[in-house]
Amino acid sequence: MSNKKSEQIKLTLPVNAAYVSAARLTTSSIANRLGFEIDEIEDIKTAVSEACTYVIKKHNSSETNDSFKICFDFLDNILNISISLKNFSEKESENEEMSLLVIKALMNTLEIKTSEEGLNIQMSKKHVSTFFGV
Amino acid sequence: MDFSVNSNYDEKNNYWLINVAGEIDIFNSTEFKTTILELLEEKPTDIKIDCENLSYIDSTGLGALIAVLKKSKSYNKEICLKNVRPSLSKLFKITNLDKVFVIEGDVNE
Repeated sequence: MSNKKSEQIKLTLPVNAAYVSAARLTTSSIANRLGFEIDEIEDIKTAVSEACTYVIKKHNSSETNDSFKICFDFLDNILNISISLKNFSEKESENEEMSLLVIKALMNTLEIKTSEEGLNIQMSKKHVSTFFGV
Repeated sequence: MDFSVNSNYDEKNNYWLINVAGEIDIFNSTEFKTTILELLEEKPTDIKIDCENLSYIDSTGLGALIAVLKKSKSYNKEICLKNVRPSLSKLFKITNLDKVFVIEGDVNE
């Protein structure tokens, strides 16, 4: 699916493990709409789920009623996904390394940034058709 | 699909057969781990986990399986995963857990 115009979709979810399945479902739907193959959809869905798990575990639990944001941006056959959380803790969480290992294996790029503005995970997946010049 | 764990003890062959269905993620992985650890405490035998109806597992679910594996090793017992779907096999390979768990009979999706 060739796309010159950027299409952006934003999703805000409570920092609550119960909603990670909603993130997976939404991600699958968006990736399918953008024309990704079944295997790629599965990869993107899994990576987003792991990133959500990562931010939920990094959440500063003293801050209740918090939410995190997922932003999907599709431009030039690349799906860029950003997941951000404002109140986070630097403390290493359980299975954190495994989450990152899975995301790195399934996506083309992964970058994690922390600043005063919060924690931000950016990852991208290139549409397979670009590899074959479709 | 809703998450469920059903267990049956096979007296003839002396192992727990556990059927797990739905999705295992951060929301229910602790429940999954606790359920199997309690079965092991009740009867420390080998465990077979049938994953035919397991559509998704994340890193916390894999962490739960590792915790169960450690417990069963402490009893000198084995865990076998069967009918694992290709999308889940991929996760086991990425994390090298395919070398840690006995996995038999992959299911074609």
